[in-house]
Amino acid sequence: MIGRLLAALLFCHGAQAAGVVSLNLCTDQYLVQLAPEQVAALSPLARDPSLSVVAAEAARLPWVRADAEAVLKLAPDWVLAADWGAQTTLQALERRGVRVVRSALPEDFPAIRVETLRLARLLGVEARGVALLAQMDATLAQVVPGPALAATVLEPRGYTAGAGSLADSVLRAAGLRNAGMGRRQDLETLLAHPPALLVMTDAPAYPSLATDFLRHPALARLPTRHLPPASLVCGGPWSADAVRALAP
Amino acid sequence: MIRGLAALVLGLTALGLLLGAAGFGLPQSEILWQLRLPRTVLAGLVGAGLGLSGAVLQGGLRNRLADPGLLGIGGGAALGAVVAFYWGLSARFAPALPLGGLAGAGLACAALFALAGRAPSAPSLILAGVALSALASALLALALALAPNPFALAEITFWLMGGLQDRSLDHLALAAPPILLGLILLLRLGPGLDALALGEDVAQSLGRPVGRTLLWAAIGSALAVGAGTAVAGSIGFVGLVVPHLLRPQLGERPAGLLPAAALAGAALLLGADLLARAAPLLLPLSQEPPLGVLTALLGAPFLVRIARQVAP
Repeated sequence: MIGRLLAALLFCHGAQAAGVVSLNLCTDQYLVQLAPEQVAALSPLARDPSLSVVAAEAARLPWVRADAEAVLKLAPDWVLAADWGAQTTLQALERRGVRVVRSALPEDFPAIRVETLRLARLLGVEARGVALLAQMDATLAQVVPGPALAATVLEPRGYTAGAGSLADSVLRAAGLRNAGMGRRQDLETLLAHPPALLVMTDAPAYPSLATDFLRHPALARLPTRHLPPASLVCGGPWSADAVRALAP
Repeated sequence: MIRGLAALVLGLTALGLLLGAAGFGLPQSEILWQLRLPRTVLAGLVGAGLGLSGAVLQGGLRNRLADPGLLGIGGGAALGAVVAFYWGLSARFAPALPLGGLAGAGLACAALFALAGRAPSAPSLILAGVALSALASALLALALALAPNPFALAEITFWLMGGLQDRSLDHLALAAPPILLGLILLLRLGPGLDALALGEDVAQSLGRPVGRTLLWAAIGSALAVGAGTAVAGSIGFVGLVVPHLLRPQLGERPAGLLPAAALAGAALLLGADLLARAAPLLLPLSQEPPLGVLTALLGAPFLVRIARQVAP
């Protein structure tokens, strides 16, 4: 009797609609842009408009915590994740025979092209991937670089974008020179040696000391360009919009 | 003594305006007025509040181990400020930040007196303080973990260990009035504390009942420590160390200690903050050491020494 009940329960779980589970904010955005119909669940961060460019779509899709049991209950066809974060969860899933695809999270435009096509093929929507890249290239082609100003991308807590980061690629694509070193910058040094242009993503809606730093009155005097909050979080075809917003 | 301490505070304040991450010397006016001035004045005010409330609490509780940080008042203040800040109250109404600190510190004071009684023995006072501190820091971590905020966990460090980096004139404007009010209230407690030192009955017959003295001590400490913690995080041990440094020179009478304790607290925190600023210039550090870590490095050995004296 109990055995039959258990079997029924297990069968119920196994019979739920399958699809792809994404456990990383960046792969969430790829998955939603490439194949929203295949989403079994996204990470909860995907719904945060200050972190995700697909927050509106993600709000209508299911989400799951990075927890092996919760993911197994969804019985996904496969799981999309990153090289870092939640690795113990991913290993537990792989031990249970779930296929896990890890994305290297591209930080520049050549890598974005490669990753978009790879994920599109894995999802069986190659044409969609090609279309997204064509749109990205059209946006990038519109950008006419101005004078190569020294720009510093200032992130919460005063971190700056270093060489090889996504923000660095976006600056260079917009014709700017990255003056940040990837180190943490205190306000005093920044004011003593101000860059020609300060780039900040709009602080998210929730209060924190980290984002309070960006609102310090002493920064108000410096020439600043604001980007939408989620635009520099993850590299993807949408990163072209940040380049267009920065170009003169 | 008072004159010497006042000169020391002035000297350290001047140094505070001359030293920063941009180097030593008079900086451009923006750095001077918007960064170094609020930071330096806040260090002085917060330190004065901690030092003076330490002296008042040690007198009022007739216990050498009393310190707003050790007794959980700083922890309660940090918890109140965290709730006001991360739950968005201070974004809508800026004074909610110091008010949250005040409320937390006030609640911690009330709980402390309820737990430890009027003239607690050293162990019972410290145990009540340890319990309150543990409760406050656990609730603080819980409040930050529940806050809808990816930076919140990194910010626990600030609230538990304090810091004054990149504070603005806005922070100064929010914190200075309650701290100053608290300092005035606490400085007026000298006669009450002196009477209390002679015993509760004597104090009563002198027209200075214990209850009233302790109530004002709690209100003054809540104002000074609560508002200070709301902008600088929890900074421990200043209130413990300062009266002990002063007693050999100024004697045991609580009233004689109070003005000096405020000045010495200011000097101590100004000095610690200067050390925090100088550390990345002198050592290959990527960031400043938290202020509360420096005061704890100074204060913890002191606590050990006092505990040895107090222990039977």
